[in-house]
Amino acid sequence: MASLPKRIIKETERLVSDPVPGITAIPHEDNLRYFEVTIEGPEQSPYENGVFGLELFLPDDYPMEAPKVRFLTKIYHPNIDRLGRICLDVLKTNWSPALQIRTVLLSVQALLASPNPNDPLANDVAEDWLQHEDAAIAKAREWTKLYATRQ
Amino acid sequence: MKVSGKLAEGSDEDDESLILDFESDSDVIDDVDNESVLLGRDNDVNDSSDSSCYESGDLSGNYLGFDQREKVLNPGFGDNTYDDDGVPKLNYNCLTTDQIYELMVSRLERIQPIFQLSYGDIIVMLQKYAWSEERLLEDWTEDREKVLVACGLEITKTVSKSRGIQNHSDFLCHICCESNKQKTFRLECGHEYCVECYEHYIKDKLPEGKIITCMSCSLALKNSDIDEILGDNSSQTLMISSIKGFIQKHSKHYKWCPFVDCNCVIQVSNLSSLSEFPRLHLSPYVVCENQHRFCFKCGLESHSPGDCQVAEQWVKLAQLESENLNWVLKNTKECPKCGVNIEKNGGCNHMTCQSCEYQFCWICEQCWNGHGGGFYECTRFKKDEKLGTAETKNSLRKYTFYYKLFSEHENSAKLDWNLGLTVEQKVKVLQENIGISWIETQFLSESIRALIEGRTTLKWSFPVAFYADPSHNLTKIFVDNQALLVSAVEDLSQLLQVKEPQNIIDRKREFYNKARFVETRSKALAGCGRDLLCKGICVPFQ
Repeated sequence: MASLPKRIIKETERLVSDPVPGITAIPHEDNLRYFEVTIEGPEQSPYENGVFGLELFLPDDYPMEAPKVRFLTKIYHPNIDRLGRICLDVLKTNWSPALQIRTVLLSVQALLASPNPNDPLANDVAEDWLQHEDAAIAKAREWTKLYATRQ
Repeated sequence: MKVSGKLAEGSDEDDESLILDFESDSDVIDDVDNESVLLGRDNDVNDSSDSSCYESGDLSGNYLGFDQREKVLNPGFGDNTYDDDGVPKLNYNCLTTDQIYELMVSRLERIQPIFQLSYGDIIVMLQKYAWSEERLLEDWTEDREKVLVACGLEITKTVSKSRGIQNHSDFLCHICCESNKQKTFRLECGHEYCVECYEHYIKDKLPEGKIITCMSCSLALKNSDIDEILGDNSSQTLMISSIKGFIQKHSKHYKWCPFVDCNCVIQVSNLSSLSEFPRLHLSPYVVCENQHRFCFKCGLESHSPGDCQVAEQWVKLAQLESENLNWVLKNTKECPKCGVNIEKNGGCNHMTCQSCEYQFCWICEQCWNGHGGGFYECTRFKKDEKLGTAETKNSLRKYTFYYKLFSEHENSAKLDWNLGLTVEQKVKVLQENIGISWIETQFLSESIRALIEGRTTLKWSFPVAFYADPSHNLTKIFVDNQALLVSAVEDLSQLLQVKEPQNIIDRKREFYNKARFVETRSKALAGCGRDLLCKGICVPFQ
């Protein structure tokens, strides 16, 4: 395997030595570009008390190209689809090489705190969210309890 | 539009001829217009003082805004009239992306005094506004600060450091996390990274054609910055990508040539005449610099005798059916007797149709009785496809019939294209060996062109036949015309399979005659097809 760029080494070291509260990111033994990530649901959100598993992959062109991030835990959220794909600007058009793994994961956590049903990825969820917000939030809570409770 | 074009052209001629010119058109232009034209013409003296000059609305706007470009683009700008065949005239130019960019830049001089900024800054703003001067000017007059910030030309809090490449002895770049970097780049915002990272970053962004900003904030890199980092003229790539985006956005005025590897862009200047075509069941054909002929409305290759509706329906149908059909055509044959599709999934060539129990040979599709040869071989030569038996019952079979012909001629057209290339080579050899002048060999290229155009007309005549009412007399005439063009095209194609290049010059007359014949037959078929469309005998349906 080609040697790991210094940038990735530095970021990994800092993720371990100075972790972001509520977020863990551990590189895979076999592939140091692949991270197993957990994010705690933000307080006062429907995802509170949930722990969500994600995977994060740094492509060859990182940091020129954005990391690829996907939810592994089932989640009811207008900007996250059934396959766990996330609709988030910094993962796409607004990516900049000056951003980092930690900033991206913080953005994902912020997305959990403030869903944006006006720019949806999962259309059915977003529609639900716009029409019956209370019911949608209740469902998100229920799914969190069902799928995202720490064992 | 018409008036401004004339003005642009006639501005250097004497006044009298100009006035006469307008008088002859007086049924179109009323008196007020006429007056304003004259005033506009003398606009050095008093173009803004007289309000009647502006009453006729966009006329003065056209004069100021439009004619200058028109002059550059199309010196022969004329009226929106019809040509001898009653086809509306289309004024168009063939351009390349570079030329379009040059045209954009040539306008900078005119708008620079409004902004009082450098050309580099204005280019960034134009890029942000997708090269729309009007929208930019609108926003600019409203709130110039906002425009500058939105375009990344100013930041709200300026650190005000020097811009450009910097030299260090030991710099730690926060992008690659490498230390000992010596060459770095930064903008006034002070975000500084090593040149290698910037190079990589910019290279990735060039094809997107959007403004490239600092890696940490929204401050824009100008073309001069890009050239400073990547070496001379790298920003040109960004400009061309941006122009491509512009063409995409203005697809009403600009169209790419649809032919493979052709980079021409056609710009039509008199859009109003485009709407004339569908009414007449005609198509606005344009020819690019590489002699590719295509339809400006639907973007397909020349599809005469069909109009755009026929072509579009046909293509849609072909996409819907093609997957099924391709498989059926590839893997099955029709029973020669009852026409059911048979898939041969093994065994010998002695076939027995399961629906009508007809026994036939898979290879020659003839009755098995008296069939010579073994079970795995066929000694008979494959018979020709029957032409002209349009009496098909079910619609898929009917469609299959025409689609086969259509795709056969499409293939032939491709082969003819290659034939054209070999003939061209042979001609080159002729020119070198026998010393025949280039002019004298022109009949060959002309024959090739006639052949390809004839082939294309033929190909697109099948969709027309498919959608036409087969019982009508005119359709029968159309089919006869088709057959005539088929033989004319095949004749010419035969002739062009040049075996003995040295004798070719002696047969020049033959080439001319056959090529001309193909041209006349194509025209006749196109006319006949248009008749079918105009009279509602051919109606494309879903």
